[in-house]
Amino acid sequence: MTERVINLKSFFEEARAGRLTGIRCGGCGELAIPPKEFCATCQKRDWQPVPLAGAGTIVSFTVIRVAPRGRGGEVPYAVGVVKLEEGVSLLGRIVDIPFEALKAGLPVRFRPLQIDTQTVIGFGPA
Amino acid sequence: MAHVAVKNHRHGVLNPKAQFQKEITLETVLKSAYVADPLKLFDCCPFTDGGAALVLASEDVARRHRRAIWVLGTHAATDTMFVHEKRDLARVAATERAAQGAYRQAGKTPTDVDVAEVHDCFTIAEIVATEGLGFFEPGTGGLAAEKGWTSLGGKLPVNPSGGLKAKGHPIGATGAAQIAEIVTQLRGEAGKRQVDGARTGLTHTLGGNTATVLVSLFGRD
Repeated sequence: MTERVINLKSFFEEARAGRLTGIRCGGCGELAIPPKEFCATCQKRDWQPVPLAGAGTIVSFTVIRVAPRGRGGEVPYAVGVVKLEEGVSLLGRIVDIPFEALKAGLPVRFRPLQIDTQTVIGFGPA
Repeated sequence: MAHVAVKNHRHGVLNPKAQFQKEITLETVLKSAYVADPLKLFDCCPFTDGGAALVLASEDVARRHRRAIWVLGTHAATDTMFVHEKRDLARVAATERAAQGAYRQAGKTPTDVDVAEVHDCFTIAEIVATEGLGFFEPGTGGLAAEKGWTSLGGKLPVNPSGGLKAKGHPIGATGAAQIAEIVTQLRGEAGKRQVDGARTGLTHTLGGNTATVLVSLFGRD
């Protein structure tokens, strides 16, 4: 077992600074994001950090109109699954794109969002 | 999707224990407010107060009981929690794996099932479940609901209890409540919502962002 090279805390610290970091499995080459304990494909714990460019396209999305507890003041807001150009997908808020313009295949770019004291994964226009 | 909500409310009217014993129309669903596009209020099940209990017995004890219903097969399967890691957003891999395991153990196929209770936490979830359980081809579960195939009187009634949508969703009790409905159906004691001649029943219970699914098959003597 190797030490984890990036954990969730440092992942969000990096993200806050505008750097999106994935992890690649030394066992099978699987790329994952955000960081996790072990590889779901080969069960190894042998991750190496991989800087990601942050460019991708929307795979699917929704507009949240009734939010979970604590997020009510933020509705409506868009959330989507974005497939990054490196091949891995990530869930995030989609901002600065009119809801009517959202569609699968639309190019977007990663940007960190600050909501209260929390860093949240966001995507804006490419 | 709206057809699923209308159908499950229609079934709920026939279930004296359902939370919502009231019919709705397609218009009710389609005119309701969005919760998260494209799901509207009437696509979503409620949270419910409720309980359910099951009595399990060894085969020896069960054989002495003329109302015994047999567990033919039961299989759990898991998948990743993260929506962005799902291999196909339009399918539930854990449902498909759990179903395969349960059918194998029971020595049954989807065409043997006479009645099913599936996890319709949202209308689309019932559609995807009926596809994953092998009742309909992927992409055709919505059409099946629209044609009435999953209604009482249809070729495979799904959620005769009213489902999570109308019977209600008492989160932790839902799985046992689904089994209780299937046992009632297989005993022929379901009253106005009885599926005539039901001999084989299936339950499908889902949790954790589709990361955990249990599928069970039941039969009578």
